Amino acid sequence: MSAIPSTRTKVIACATVIEEMQPLMPADMQRQVLEFGLHLRPGELTKALQAAIDASTDADLILLGYGQCSRAVIGLVAKQATLVVPRVDDCIAIFLGSRDAYHAQASKEPGTYYLTKGWIEVGDSPFEEYKRMIGRYGEQRALRMIKLMLKNYTRLAFINTGVYELERYREYARQTAERFGLRFEEIEGAPSLVEKLLRGPWDDEIVVCPPGQTITYEMFAPLPQK
Amino acid sequence: MSDELVKAIADMQEEEALALTKKLLDGGAEPIAILNACRAAMEIVGQRFEKNEYFIPELILAGEMLKTISAEVKPRLKQSVDGKKGAKVLLGTVQGDIHDIGKDIVSFMLDVNGFEVKDLGVDVPVAKFVEEIKTYQPAVVALSGFLTLAYTSMKETVEAIAAAGLRQQVKIMIGGGTMDQQICAYAGADAFGKDAMAAVALAKEWTGAK
Repeated sequence: MSAIPSTRTKVIACATVIEEMQPLMPADMQRQVLEFGLHLRPGELTKALQAAIDASTDADLILLGYGQCSRAVIGLVAKQATLVVPRVDDCIAIFLGSRDAYHAQASKEPGTYYLTKGWIEVGDSPFEEYKRMIGRYGEQRALRMIKLMLKNYTRLAFINTGVYELERYREYARQTAERFGLRFEEIEGAPSLVEKLLRGPWDDEIVVCPPGQTITYEMFAPLPQK
Repeated sequence: MSDELVKAIADMQEEEALALTKKLLDGGAEPIAILNACRAAMEIVGQRFEKNEYFIPELILAGEMLKTISAEVKPRLKQSVDGKKGAKVLLGTVQGDIHDIGKDIVSFMLDVNGFEVKDLGVDVPVAKFVEEIKTYQPAVVALSGFLTLAYTSMKETVEAIAAAGLRQQVKIMIGGGTMDQQICAYAGADAFGKDAMAAVALAKEWTGAK
């Protein structure tokens, strides 16, 4: 990793990912958290990220707590700073610790809804949406909607990232699974990718984009099969 | 009265929409008028989604209403066009992805535009597409996907079709989520469509349908 001091380093992260980064970050490292809801509108996420980058004039190194996120990070550029971002599809890989771990889970059971402490906290899931829908459409229609939303899902996987108050989040996930007819499973998360992003060394799991260069899709292209 | 149907669908009044459809058809309404109402309603739903008034649940429920209504309309529609069906389209969400809201809407739109659609569902293995091309003999293959994980599956599916010697027989379109020209080129498909109307336009262009 570079010799840039942590005071000249800034983390820009999604509200869900910052939960996993905070415990490993030096206290003097700058941080900016962007709202989770942006992930549903990749165009807006790109704009928000670029604005945050442009405002980071006192950083030489910007660490993005994001994956490709529907390619929202593609096209980002920092004039003065190096941009660093995990080379993964989305945050699920970050929580599981690697792209390979995510792909293994995804191919084993594509119909998986993942939950972490961060996701539960931001309350932006079909399960929380269901509560909002009840207010708008009544209980019966809301239930019909969430059942349709989850019709291709078989598993609710709670990713244990070793967070504080684990039991509370695990219980929320377990109850949610039961209520909506999904199989509950707990899978082990790993901090390896977050550690690598924050401390290096940056290998082929991390995209490093020098100042003035634009992040391209090719930088995220899948690695050759091992 | 079809204005009422447009409003019922656009306002997520599922039971009312289905009841109105039946009433309209029993009263001698043209099946095509019902489908046009569906199309108009979907445009409104799309606009409300763009404006953040509607979210994913509304899109899903709208898709479900389309399915139910088209099941009601279809038997009567066939009589009115001599039971003739257009070119065949093979459709599915690629391996590793289970998102199908958009795919279902594309399926509906192709169907009501006269195409014969075979929908393979979600998480469709690469080999399944190859096998179905051999037996079903479609003119068009439509690959759907939402996750960035789907990019690789799309590429693998197109490669497998080529490896089986079937690439020249079919035109391949991709769509869903963030699919664009770049991913189309990456996957080796012929074109991408940004919405269901684009899928219909591509299929028409490729098969010479009017």
